[in-house]
Parts: sequence; C-alpha cells; structure tokens
Amino acid sequence: MSWLLVLPIALPLAAAAATIVARGRRRTQRILSVGCALVVLAGAVALVWATRDGEVLAAGMGGWPARFRITLVADPFAALMLTVSALMVTVCTLFAAARGEDEQPYFHSLVQVLFAGACGAYLTTDIFDLFVFIEVALIASYVLLTLGGSLRQLRAGAVYVTTNLLASTAFLAGVALLYGAAGTVNFAELAGRARTSGEVAVAGTFILGALAVKGGLVPVHGWLPRSYPAASPAVTALFSGLLTKMGVYAMFRVYCTVFQGETTLRTPLLVAASLTMLLGVLGAVGRERMRDILSFHMASQVGYLVMALGISGVAGLSAGIFFMLQYIVVKTSLFLCSGAVETFEGTGALSELGAVARRRPVLAAAFGVSALSLAGVPPLSGFFAKLALLQAAFVAHDYAVAGVAVAVSFLTLFSMVKIWNGVFWGDPPAERRRTAATPTRGRAAAVVAPAAALAAVGVAVGLGAELLWALSARAAGLLVDPAAYIEAVLR
Amino acid sequence: MSAGLVGLSLLLLIAAAALAPLFARFLGRDAGYPLAGFFVAALGLLAVHAPAVLDDERVVLSLSWVPGLDVGLVLVLDGLSLLFALLVLAVGAVVMAYSARYLDPEASHVRVYTLLTLFGAAMLGLVLAGDVMLLFVFWELTSVLSYLLIGGRGGGASKAAATRAFLVTGLGGLALFAGLVLMTVVAGTGDVRSILADPGVVAGSSLAPVILALVLAGAFTKSAQFPFHFWLPGAMVAPTPVSTYLHAATMVKAGVYLVARMTPLFAYGGPWRTIIVLVGVTTAVIGASLALKQHDLKELLAYSTVSQLGFLMALAGIGTYAALAAMAAHVLAHALYKATLFMVVGVIDREAGSRDIRELTGLRRAMPWTAGATALAALSMAGIPPFLGFVSKEEAFAAFLGTPGPGWLAPLATTLAAASACLTFAYGARIFDGAFEGPLTQKLFDPRRSFLVPAALTALAGLGLGLAVSRLNPLARAAADAAIGAPGEVDLALWHGLTPALALAAAMVTLGFVLFLLRRRIDRALDPVDLPTSGARVFDRAYDATIALGRRSGAPFTSSVPAVHMGWVLGALATAAVAAWLAWSPGVPPALATDELGADQVVAGLLALGAAGAALARSRIGAVAALGIVGFLVAVLYVLLGGPDLAITQLLVETLTVALVVLVFRKLPRTFAAAGRPRRVAAGGAAVVVGTLAAAGTYAFTGRRGISAAGAYFLRAGPDEAGGRNVVNTILVDFRALDTLGEIAVLAVAAVGVTVLASSALSGAGTRERSLILREATRVLTPGMVLLAVYFLLRGHNAPGGGFIAALIAGATLVLQHLTGGVGQVRRLLPVSPPTLLAAGLLLAVAYGLAGLLLGGHFLQGAIWQIDLSAGTAKLAASLVFDAGVFLVVLGAIAAYLRTFGGDEG
Amino acid sequence: MTAAVIVGVLAAAGTYLVLQRGLVRMALGFVLLGHAANVLLVVSGGIHRRGVPIEGETVGRAADPLPQAFTLTAIVIGFGMTAFLLALAFRARRDLGDDDLEGES
Repeated sequence: MSWLLVLPIALPLAAAAATIVARGRRRTQRILSVGCALVVLAGAVALVWATRDGEVLAAGMGGWPARFRITLVADPFAALMLTVSALMVTVCTLFAAARGEDEQPYFHSLVQVLFAGACGAYLTTDIFDLFVFIEVALIASYVLLTLGGSLRQLRAGAVYVTTNLLASTAFLAGVALLYGAAGTVNFAELAGRARTSGEVAVAGTFILGALAVKGGLVPVHGWLPRSYPAASPAVTALFSGLLTKMGVYAMFRVYCTVFQGETTLRTPLLVAASLTMLLGVLGAVGRERMRDILSFHMASQVGYLVMALGISGVAGLSAGIFFMLQYIVVKTSLFLCSGAVETFEGTGALSELGAVARRRPVLAAAFGVSALSLAGVPPLSGFFAKLALLQAAFVAHDYAVAGVAVAVSFLTLFSMVKIWNGVFWGDPPAERRRTAATPTRGRAAAVVAPAAALAAVGVAVGLGAELLWALSARAAGLLVDPAAYIEAVLR
Repeated sequence: MSAGLVGLSLLLLIAAAALAPLFARFLGRDAGYPLAGFFVAALGLLAVHAPAVLDDERVVLSLSWVPGLDVGLVLVLDGLSLLFALLVLAVGAVVMAYSARYLDPEASHVRVYTLLTLFGAAMLGLVLAGDVMLLFVFWELTSVLSYLLIGGRGGGASKAAATRAFLVTGLGGLALFAGLVLMTVVAGTGDVRSILADPGVVAGSSLAPVILALVLAGAFTKSAQFPFHFWLPGAMVAPTPVSTYLHAATMVKAGVYLVARMTPLFAYGGPWRTIIVLVGVTTAVIGASLALKQHDLKELLAYSTVSQLGFLMALAGIGTYAALAAMAAHVLAHALYKATLFMVVGVIDREAGSRDIRELTGLRRAMPWTAGATALAALSMAGIPPFLGFVSKEEAFAAFLGTPGPGWLAPLATTLAAASACLTFAYGARIFDGAFEGPLTQKLFDPRRSFLVPAALTALAGLGLGLAVSRLNPLARAAADAAIGAPGEVDLALWHGLTPALALAAAMVTLGFVLFLLRRRIDRALDPVDLPTSGARVFDRAYDATIALGRRSGAPFTSSVPAVHMGWVLGALATAAVAAWLAWSPGVPPALATDELGADQVVAGLLALGAAGAALARSRIGAVAALGIVGFLVAVLYVLLGGPDLAITQLLVETLTVALVVLVFRKLPRTFAAAGRPRRVAAGGAAVVVGTLAAAGTYAFTGRRGISAAGAYFLRAGPDEAGGRNVVNTILVDFRALDTLGEIAVLAVAAVGVTVLASSALSGAGTRERSLILREATRVLTPGMVLLAVYFLLRGHNAPGGGFIAALIAGATLVLQHLTGGVGQVRRLLPVSPPTLLAAGLLLAVAYGLAGLLLGGHFLQGAIWQIDLSAGTAKLAASLVFDAGVFLVVLGAIAAYLRTFGGDEG
Repeated sequence: MTAAVIVGVLAAAGTYLVLQRGLVRMALGFVLLGHAANVLLVVSGGIHRRGVPIEGETVGRAADPLPQAFTLTAIVIGFGMTAFLLALAFRARRDLGDDDLEGES
C-alpha cells in the first residue's frame, strides 16, 4: 500500500523530468503530463476509498524508526485534497493544451513539479518537509507566473516572488523557533504541545502567520489579486486550485495538530476570517476585469475557510473541509470560464465585453452554474457548504461571524451578477477585438469543455452532497481527535 | 405508494422542463399546449389526494437527501399547499396555452418555455416543501429563474430590472436563509411539521426575534411589500406570459404562503402579527394609490398587484380562521382576475400596439369578447357581487374587523384595507372605461379564439366560483386548518346577511364609484405629485455606492510596489509574534551553559559591520563586496559551530551568488537609485523592529534544552545504520532523503526558470578572457578539479563532502572553461545540455527511491554493501546513487546559469 | 547571546534592503534574511555543543546534526530562489534598462 502514498510525489517528479527531456515534442509532453495526472487521480481515489472509514495509511521514507524518519500519511483529509488536486491538474492541463499555452517547452514540467509539491505538502507529517514541498510548489509557480515575460508579468512576478519569499523565510524562522523549543519537527510528536508549552504556542502562531500570508488572509492578501491575474488563464486556474489551498491546508494541519485543545487563537482567527471575507468581497465588487474580481474572491473565500477553522470542532471542521473541496472545483471552473471568454473575445474587461451568452451558450451556462454555486445558491455545492458553515457557527454561538458570512454571501452574489450582466448579457461590444483567429468548432469545444466539465462536477457534488459531506465529516473527526493519525505516523 | 404521487407530480413538471427544449424546437410556439397538458396532469396527480387532504389529512413523502446537514427531501400535501399548488398548476396551464398564441410564431422560444416550466416546478416544490431547507432551495431557485426570465436576451432595460429584482429578493432570500438555519439549530430539526407542532421551541427562544425578523425580511422582499415593492413594476419589462405567471400569480405569492405556513410561530406571542398586518395594509394603500397614477396598463396592473399582495399579506398575518379563509378565497380570486387582466393587456398590446390607457378607447366595439373578459375581471377586482372578488373582499373585511391584538389595530387595519378597496374600485373602473368606452380610434379586431380562450377561462372562473363559492369551503377550511394547525370553522358564502362587512363593502364600492366619476380632477391633482424618491432610485444609488466602496477598500492593497506588500507582511507577522508572546507569556527557561568563544563575538562584530555596509552601501560594487564578506563570516561562524559541510557549502553558494549578482549588474548604473526619504525612514524603522524581534526570538528559543531525541539518534545511527561517518550527510541522503529530493527539485526548477526568463536574445559567444595564463591554468587544472569533484562525491558519506559540494567544484571548473573558451568550449567538455542534466539527476534520484521501494519496501530506502578489498572491508552505501543524482542536478543548474547569464547581449 | 545579536543584525540589514527599490537590492536583502534564518536554524540545536557531528565525536559534545542538515537544505533552496530573483532582475534590466519594476500598476 505504501506505493500509493509515494505515487503522488514520485510520478509527477518523474514526469517533470521526462517532459524536460521531451521538450521538443508537444504531443509526447501532453500524453506524459495528462497520463501522469490521471494515474495520480486514480491512486488518490483509491486512497479515498481506503480511508473512507477513518483508517489512516502511512508509508515511511526509508526503513528508519518512526520517530526519526519522514512519514507520508494519508488520512481522509489528505486523500480528498489529493483527489481534487489531481482532477484540477488534469483539467487545467487539458485547458492549457486547448489554448496552446503549452507551446512553452517547459510548461508541462513546471506544472508537474507544482503538482508534486502540492501532493507532498498534503502527505507529509513533518513540518520541515512541509516547508520543502511548499517551496517546491512555489518555485514552480514563480516560473509559471512569469512564463510569458511581458512587463505586466514581470511586475506581478516581482510582487509575488518577493512577498512569498518573505513569507517562506518567516516560515523557516518559525520552524527554527519551533525546533528550538520542542526539539522535534514531527507532527505526531508536536500534537497538542501548544497546550502544554507556551513557547511551542508562540512558535506555532508565528508559523500560522507565515502560512496565512501564503493563503491570502487579510491584511496580507493584497499580493494575490495583484499578481494572479497577470498569469496566463490556465496558470491562474491552476494556481487557484492548488497553491493557495496548500497554505490553507497547512494551516488546518498545523492548527489541528499542534494547537489541539488550545483555544486562545479562536477569536483572532474569527476576526481575521471576518475581515478577510469582507475586504475580499468588497475588493471584488470594485474591480472591472473578470480575473481581478475572481482573484479578490479567492481572498474572500479563504476567509470562510479560516472561519471554519476558528469555529473548530467536528461541525466546524467538516464544514471547512467540505467548503474547501467544493470550492476548489467551483473556483477553478470559474477561472476556466473566464479564460475561455478571454480566448474568444480577447479581453477580460467588463466594459469591453457583452452578450457572450448569445454566442457561447454552453460557456454561459457553465459560468452561471459555477457563479451561483460560489454565491451559495441552492441546490449547488456552495449552498451546502455555506449551510454547513452557518449551522456550525450558530451551534457554537458565533453569531457575529455568521452575520458577516451571510452579508458577504450577498456581496458575492452582487459581484457575480455584475460579471454576468457585463459579460454574458448586455449588448455586444462596438468593435470586436480580434484574437489570433476565430477558433474552429473543435478548438472552441476543447476550450469550453474543461470549464463545463468542472461545472458539471460542481452540480453533481451539490445534488449528491451527502457523499462528500460524509467523507468530510470523517476527515474532520480525525482532525479533532488525531489519535489514529498519530498512531499511524509512529507505527 | 400513494404519497409517491405527490413526488411524481413534481417530477412530472421537472420532466416537462427537460422536454421543453425539444417541444420548442419542433413545435415552435405551439409547445405551450403539450406543456399545459403536463401542468394539468400534475394537477390531476395531486387531485387524487384531494378528498383526503380536504378532510384535514396530510400526505407526506419523505426521502433523505443530505441527512448530515438535516436537509431532507420532504414533500407535504395539506390544505394550504393544495390551495397554492392548485394556483401554480392551473394558472401555469393557462399561461402555457396563452403563450402558444402570444409568442412570435417565427422566433425560437426554447429559453422561455424551458425557464417557465422550470419555474413552475420550482414554485410547486416551494409550496409542497416539508423541510425548511428544501423550501429555501426552491425559494432561491424561483429568484434565479425570475432573474433569467426578466432579463430575457440581456438587453439594457431588461438587465437593470432583472438585476434589481434579483438583488432585492436575493438579499431577502439570504436573510431568510439565515433565519431558517437559525430555526433549524434552535428547533433541532428542519422538518416543518415538527417545528410548527411545538411553536414554543422556536418562538419562545431567546433568538425568536431575530429568526422571525429574518423570515419576514425574506417574505416581504419576495412579496413586494413596502418598502421593497419597487422591483415589481420594473419587472414588467418581461414578456406578458412571464409577468402573468410569475409576478401576478405565483412567485410573489410565495411570501404570503410562507407567512401563512408559519402562522403558529407568528401567533405565539409578540408583535409579529401586528407588524405583518401593518406592513400589509400600508402596502395595500400605497400600491393602490400609485396604481391610480399610472397610464401604462401593465404598470397599473403591477402596482395593483403590489396593493393586493399587501392585502393578502395582512390577511395571512391576522391568522384567524376567518382571515385565512378570506386569504384562500382572495388568493384564488386575485390570481384569476389578475391573470385575465394581464393576458388581456397582452392581447391589446399585440393588437393595438400600445398599452397606454389614454390612447386606447372604444375597443368594446372592435373587440367585444376581449372587452367582455376584461369587464368580468375588472368587476371581480372591484369587488362587485356575485364575483369571487366580492366574496373574498367581504370575508376579508369581516376578518379585519376581527383582528386580534391591540385594540387600535382592528379599526386601523380595517380602515386602511377599506381605503385600498375603494381605490381598487377606482382604478378597476378606469381600466374598463379607459380601454372600452369612448369612440373607436383604431381599426382592430378581436383576436383568434385560441388567443382569447385562456383569458376568458380565468375570467369566467371568477364569476363561476363566485356564484358557487360554497363549493370552495372545504378547500378554504382545509387551508386554514393546515395553517393554524387545528380544525376550525369556515363559512364562505355569497350572502351572509346584513353584516358590517357587507355594509363596508357597499360603502367602498360607492366611494370608489365617486372617485371614478371625479377621475379627471383627481388626475390633475395627482399628476404633479411624486414620491420624493422612488425605491428604484434608492436601489440604484445603493448599488453604485457599494461599487465605490469596493473600489476604495481594494485600493490600499493593490499597489505595484513590492515593498508595500512586504510591509504588510512584516507588520502582520511582527504583531502576531508580539501578541502571541504576550498571550501565552511563556517564561524563558534557563540557558544551558554556553561556552561562547571569543571568536564568536569577533565574528558577530564583523558581521554587524558587514551587514550594515551591505545595507547602506550606495554603490553596487560596494554592496556586493559587503555581501561577500558577510557570507564569508557566516561560513566562519558555521565552522565555529561545528558544521564544516555547512561552511563549505555556504562559501561556495556565496561565491556563486556574488558572481550572478555581478553578471546582472552589467550595464546597470554604478550606484543604486535611492528611494525617497520617508520610505528609507520607514524601512529603517521596520529593520529595527524586525531585528529586535529576531534577536529576542533567538535569545528566548534557542540554547535552552538538551540535545533532541532525533539528534541523539542520528549521531548514533548514522554510522551504524546508514553506513556513513558524516552524520549530516547521512541525514541528507539516508534519513531525510525526501527533503533532499525536494531540494533538488527546487534547484532544477530555478534553473529552468532562469533559462526561460533570461536567455532569450543572447548569442552564444560570451566575453572571453584572452589572458594566456588563465587559459593555460584552466587547461591544467581542469582534470584535477574534475577528479577532486569525484573524490568529494565519493567521500561525502564519511567526511565533509557530498554531492552538492562535488557539483559546486565541478561547476567551478565549468566557469573557468566558460571564461576562457566560451560556450563552445564548455559544450565540448560537457556535451550534455543543462536541461538534460537536470532531468537526468531528477530521474536518477526518483529511480533510486523507487528501487528502494521495490527492493526494500520503503521509498528512498538505502542499503549498505560490504566490499572486500585487499586492505580490508569497505562499506559502500547505495545512497551514493542518490548523491549522484544530486550532483547531476546541481551541475546542470550551474551550467544553466552559466549559459544564461554568461552569454553576450547585443 | 552572540547568536541573538548576529541573527538580529542580519535580519535588520536584510529587512532594510528588502524594502528598497530595485530587484537586485531586494535580492541582496533576501540573501541576508536567508542568512539570518539559517543561523537561527543552526543555533536552534543548541550552541553549547560544537563538536563536528562525525563518527568518533562524543555524543555529549557533538553538535545537533539535524538543524545542520536543515540549514544545508535551506541554503540550497535559498540559492535557487535568489538565482530566480536575479534572473527577474536581469530580464527587467534587459527589457526596461533598469531593475526597478515599480511604476504605474
């Protein structure tokens, strides 16, 4: 079984190397890349199946004693994140191929390394290893962001790289402080230490702060909408699905293991979450380009996730995990839709678009469905996620945060209506910007298909919400009571 | 099984929606007929249960949907839901039949038919829902479908109206959502019957005011109560079938339905009934007054709907048997006559091309049948016997007179209700008079029968049901019983005797007639009068203000200046660190005895100078030199701390970094561009804060515990288990090889990134050092350096060395070759391209790991082989292969940097 | 104590540089910040034991090898990052003539 845990890291790295060797032949690269992603997806689904009853799988790196080696562990949470990430990589790679973004010979290699880094971050049980894998994913993202070399990308890259480098350095310093206080970097050994050792709590808080920067929490969220929209559409979609969620996942993991039972951070987390939700969505409301709006939304939705983390408990964490999983699908679908619009219309600015629904009804439907899901309209997945979150908040008497969440939901709806009115309805723009060539039917379908497929997945998740909810609840149960997780690590 | 019929009814409509695109594509506008058939069939399925339901029984279909979140697929058919379902399905069928003749025969109607049918299904689901969340699902769906239907193809005016409607009902919807979730949490279940069976649990809880206020917010916005009424007239830009179905008959009634359904909660105690009644009658009066001012028939009808909705809402709020029975009757009456009027207006619009009441005269002579239908409807609306509208109005007055609650409520409510009735008569008469009396000015004909039949049907129904109103008694009673939750007495009749209600009704008719006679004088008085502001204008201003707020709140965070973002990061992290320290106040454990060497302090002092120099230097070369010195001193520090591997690596990396920086410096000005004074001061301040915190952190967190368990283990196990005397190296390639795998991945990607970014227009040659000495030295040194590199690679496991250092040495060789011979020479020495080296190293490392998995059961598992040599046994570790992979990647990276940065640019 | 001073000084200088104009100066700042973090990492193992962790060194005197390994990895990762940042500066210089990318957004 341990090869199932090694697969998500080893295979993408090997695929990255192979695609570097094959960098003249795009077709080979595409086959390698998509094939690898599909294989990992299958493996991840197998992991979800294997852990569906709360069982935790572990694989040690090297045959050394458990306490002193790095162990890769798949609990339901990690398995679910792996599945969604693999799905996103597959879909975004196909989208990039449809748009011709992979003409850059290193595109596929970089995506695979990003993928490997994300998978490693999900599976590792060692905080320094977490640092390494986050850096692996980040460096790949630095290169992907600036791949075109345009001035806009260089500027965005400057902001993105420097901010994240700073956060990474802070993260490393936090790890050093943690090791200095606790003498270990193993999650299992650190479990619950924040309750007993104030120093560990301080170091852990600092680490959470660094991770919050990577996730895009207020007030350190500005880099996200400043830099993400500069990347090419497929890359932005990929980032939204993989990168920020890595930071949030790490926050969940660190908070639930190290801070287990320690509730001092509850209020700060809820306050930060409220501010993030609010400022994120307000920022979105004020923008005029599709991807700018969607990027601000990413910051806002991270607020929801941190709200779930703050509420904690099985109810809160189940809601958070469910929210994160369905949100990745929905958000990526939205970015793919906006990318498709940009492909066909040549621009993402609301003022220059209009009446796209008449020309591209399938695309409009895909966008509409995903947008409504983001805003929490039933019976889509976003509705159930918000329902779960509100229920958890009310039960825990966190009324203020719940109120903010509802208000932000309205503003999310507001901004989605703004996009819909500006892009898909309205009158066609006076002069159509000509892209390279009007795409053929086949190519147009290939560009729209990924977005539509993900939108369909989102609808399915909504209608069959019980399945995902049960899995999320199982995952949350293990976060609240990590005994099985610890036992698996130290086995 | 029988309960399944209820579910089947809903499914039938959903199926109809799925089939609608096909019908529309093949039948064009005639698709309305088969769709109407579906509606009727669905009604038939429900009618099977009618006898039971009218006997106060409930038919319940309960399936599980998301039990984890307390959301069940529960459908309940009782008197109240049957009443509204009748409305939804019957009016739906009529509207479908009407659309088959109203819509343009040439255009495609796939969208309209599909959305309308879907809407019917959603509305049916809403009234049948027995689970609070399920109700909300359908509630929101109706809002979304309404948005899409109003917006039509997305043109300007439709867009604005649709947005207004959607956002207002959406806001209310979200309030409703919050209220319903709170209700579920307080009640412990989402099942409507359970919640209403014991109203005290919810209505008596401390959160009751919030819950009920939120629910009312949802109901009021949906049913266009004042002050949320303004979206309804705007929605009239939608085509007539849409206006008829959604905005007269069904969607807007949803709020009334909700209030009626929740009667036990509102009746439990508190001011709720009073609030609902007051809001209702206020809306009724205001709506009717505004209707009087309108000249566009459709707008007039819209305001009339607002007024009638207020009337209905007030009745639902009163919550007595009489009131609910009156509501039941009035819901039907209103639906019938309003639908007729809307459809007729559609007919007139089509035939006469105008909806302005001032331009249409004498149509009675040209369109007698149309005029007849209009007359019937207008009479019902005005409350003339024997129409249903009269019966419902009289019952309503009786109910108003019996309003429970504070003493002043009943008279006030009755007065306002009566006033609205009076105004209703006035504008009803106007409709009739305006359109049909007077001279004929246009050449027109009655439309085809099929166009008019639906409207005629509803008009006649209004008359027929009025005459046979006692037949409605079972339904009204069942509805009232279902709403209140207990059986009661209801008696709808055409003639109750001389009651105060009858007197009131008669008085209102008379007064209304007077108003009608005085209409021209009223018009002249009212025309200049306008509300100071309209709801629509308020909405638009709020909309713009929100966007402006959004723009301003995003601004501070979207700078292009990296320093701004980093400033936020530093500030946030510093605050978090300090706050955390204060929150937990961990004491600082005693420091272990440190044998601080004097050398430590010397290094520290020099470092301070070097760092300051690097920071403050204005010339680029100066800064780089200071940086190099700092790096060197850090390496010295590492040696002092017992890490020779670290020191060597640090030195080599530092050298490479300095070289790269110098290469980037070419063609940049010699000094740095200075930032403005305030920025430098701020940076200085930040530096001081960060430095202090870093020092404090180091002081407090390090050197205060014994060696960690892991460290002790590695010291022992490195030589024994991993076969290497250099423990740090064993950690890197054996114990924590996964970290190293990640590290080389980072390096490889960085090299790729450098290649992609910086290599574009570089020609290959590069500047060459022509110095003979250097070239000779290079030629001589190269083989030796290569051997040295290999030596360091092999010995790394047991002594300072290892793949990284070996690669750096080999890399230095490459640098020399490049300097003296250019890229061509390097290529001759190393015929493999850098990316291939990177890939090979990565693959080698991964393959080694997988081999360990296959052969040893663990990824990256090493092995130790004993080799018998003549001089004894030597231990060879398999992790050498891994180290070789590291070597290749680092070498490839250096080669990549060389090729990229070292090229010549034009 | 000395370690604290060293880390503090490096962090301060690095912070100052990182907030300046010009990608190269920022890169220098990151190098210094990296040094600070690395030194912190090494001393987190405890600076009262300074023996080189090689077989033969007594366990009581040998330095904690784990943070040293961490730091080695961090140095290499940091080097990769720095190289990329410098490549950004290089490209900016080539395209704009200057490594200062601050301008209108």
